[in-house]
Amino acid sequence: MTNDTARRISATSLWTIIILIFALVPIVTTSAYKINVASHILVWGLFAVSFNMLWGITGMLSFGQALYYGLGAYSVGLMVDYLGSGWFLPAIALGLVMVIIVSFLLGLLVIRVGGVYFTMLTLAFAQLAWQITFKWYDFTGGDDGIQGIIPPGILENRIVYYYFVLVIVFVSIWILKRMAYSPFGLILRCVQQNPARVRFLGRRVRRNQLRVYMVSSFFAALAGSLMAGVDSSIHTDMLFWTTSGEAILMSVLGGLNQFFGPFIGAAIFILIEDNIGARTEYWPLIIGSIMLVMVILFPKGIVGEVLRLKAWFGKNGGGRQP
Amino acid sequence: MKKSTCICLVVALLACVAIPFAVHAQDKTIRIGAMYPMTGRAGLYGIDSVAAAEMAIDEINGKGGVNGYMIDATFTDSKARPAYAVRVATRYITEDKVHFLFGVVSSGVGLAVTEISRQHKTIFIGTDHASTQLTVDKMQPYYFRVSNNTFMSMAAGALYLKERKATKDWTTIAYIGPDYAYGHDQWNELKYNLDRLGVPYKVVGEYWPKLFEPDYTAYVTSLVRDKPDILVSGFWGGDTVAFLKQAIPYGLLQRSLYFHPDAGGNYELMSAMGDELPAGLVLGARHYNNWPDTALNRNFAAEFKKRTGRFPTYAASGAYVGVYAIAKAVEAVGNPDDTEALVKALENLKLQAPWDPDGFTSYMRPDTHQLKKMQAIGVTMPNKDFPPATMMLGDWKIYKPEDVMPPNDYIKEKRK
Repeated sequence: MTNDTARRISATSLWTIIILIFALVPIVTTSAYKINVASHILVWGLFAVSFNMLWGITGMLSFGQALYYGLGAYSVGLMVDYLGSGWFLPAIALGLVMVIIVSFLLGLLVIRVGGVYFTMLTLAFAQLAWQITFKWYDFTGGDDGIQGIIPPGILENRIVYYYFVLVIVFVSIWILKRMAYSPFGLILRCVQQNPARVRFLGRRVRRNQLRVYMVSSFFAALAGSLMAGVDSSIHTDMLFWTTSGEAILMSVLGGLNQFFGPFIGAAIFILIEDNIGARTEYWPLIIGSIMLVMVILFPKGIVGEVLRLKAWFGKNGGGRQP
Repeated sequence: MKKSTCICLVVALLACVAIPFAVHAQDKTIRIGAMYPMTGRAGLYGIDSVAAAEMAIDEINGKGGVNGYMIDATFTDSKARPAYAVRVATRYITEDKVHFLFGVVSSGVGLAVTEISRQHKTIFIGTDHASTQLTVDKMQPYYFRVSNNTFMSMAAGALYLKERKATKDWTTIAYIGPDYAYGHDQWNELKYNLDRLGVPYKVVGEYWPKLFEPDYTAYVTSLVRDKPDILVSGFWGGDTVAFLKQAIPYGLLQRSLYFHPDAGGNYELMSAMGDELPAGLVLGARHYNNWPDTALNRNFAAEFKKRTGRFPTYAASGAYVGVYAIAKAVEAVGNPDDTEALVKALENLKLQAPWDPDGFTSYMRPDTHQLKKMQAIGVTMPNKDFPPATMMLGDWKIYKPEDVMPPNDYIKEKRK
């Protein structure tokens, strides 16, 4: 067996295990709460992985992905609220089309600047969208949000909706993974490391940045629109900068340079929030301390450190292999 | 082999975690799942609510509980975030198997939680959030509110302004309130009620500072220029204190009558401002420590002070009454498990609350699930009975519930 095949098998088995765990949740438990937490992990996992396409892979730290997450959620929420629950699925599609257009137009503006200016511009646009949603009471319900977003037909069943989310999230993550390891992904990594060289190689930096910005925004919006059905209610918080901040925390926690890191980060973040939050109101102190330890001692994140450990053991144990 | 062992291990682990460890035997407990913000600017409302709810629970359990059932409440910091509160509420219902959801200060969180209450058919007792929507257009069968909504405060406010016109004529009015649903609702409902009562008025200014705005100077100077006869305010908590402190040096409170009917009369303001609080401000709140002067209200404030070392803000009374409402309903039904019977019992609820004057008992309005209570509005005046406050309200004007509840055509219109 070559090393490459072995790696591929181990990656496939990791995927199988993770999908299996999530697929088994409604079978081993009838608890609506556990299904709800698992749905939150899936949706946030997709949001964090899509965000990491921008930051971890291309090196573009956007502080405004909440804009697209919120747009996805509000397109579903508003259409269901005004037109009825039959519009749930068309609303997801329409929201995604809208996000493609918005991210293309905004992308043209924000990618013109790099580094911290890019971060600030994305933050500014997201906060602008938040303000509009917050203030436009007659249309968006303002800070009261929108409630009663029930998916139509068979999707109304919580378990069916859970599997619907599960399939969409893993198919999306699979697409993103294919993208991250394609020649396009390679160029994105080059853009992060040496944009000047990318130009010398005859590739366009901005065009690729725009593409990945649109891809990341598309999947962030998809995550947001799925969330509308998970909680049956949406709120302006979804567009607020803290939502973008949480995606950043999840990525750092899980491991920036690992494709699957942000997903694991999202899972751990949500489990900490729920389990420690149930016992003390000082849970932000605990997540803050964990983040501090992670950044100072384990900068590669949980997945990164586990892989390093595995590599270390592999190296030590290598001599014993025939 | 290795792979399958690994998968088996994971599945076994998952099953261990998933098996409901919170299987409740048929113990005789009324389980309440409460959500309050415990940190941040609304933290005091949550902390006071928890203290008062625990006080009521201790009182009831101390007397042997309700029909042999003891009350047990779990409190979680809702962090004033709807998405998180939804998860907590779901956990309460499905893991902890609570009989009642309880609490919530923010209306945004209340609206998200009422949706969960509806889906899981679990009764939700609202104790502090004031959005009228929850009992009008977003009302659902399993939601009940024991504290008042903004409509009741503003209807009482409109009646007060109408009476004032008879004694001291006024024509111009201006509004300043936080720029979110709570601030907008108050202003719209006051105007609706003034129109309904046929009170003529002229709006000379509307100002919407953001919530937790630290600097009100620009608004104060504009209001001084507008010279309204009546300055209506819709702030709550620290914002009221900050605004008043900044308005005093400009003489705004001498030029215009400061009128703050929903949250202005909260004891929080009196204790925070002490001597600095001017006399003659017209304020209202959901509960007062010095009105009505009944044994129940005096005991409530004194007991709360004994437990916490301070007098209660109005949030406390809502939580206290909420627990008693649950006890009354369970007493009527005989057990906390028959939700539909409990809904019926709550619809017919009659409850002597600390805010009830002698000869009046609060009662539930069945078509909106909103508790009907007397509304009072008072004027600030020196009173050192509730330190650290040196000013309290007095010269009360009292309004009957039937005069301040949303009228039927209003409800019909909103529910369309």
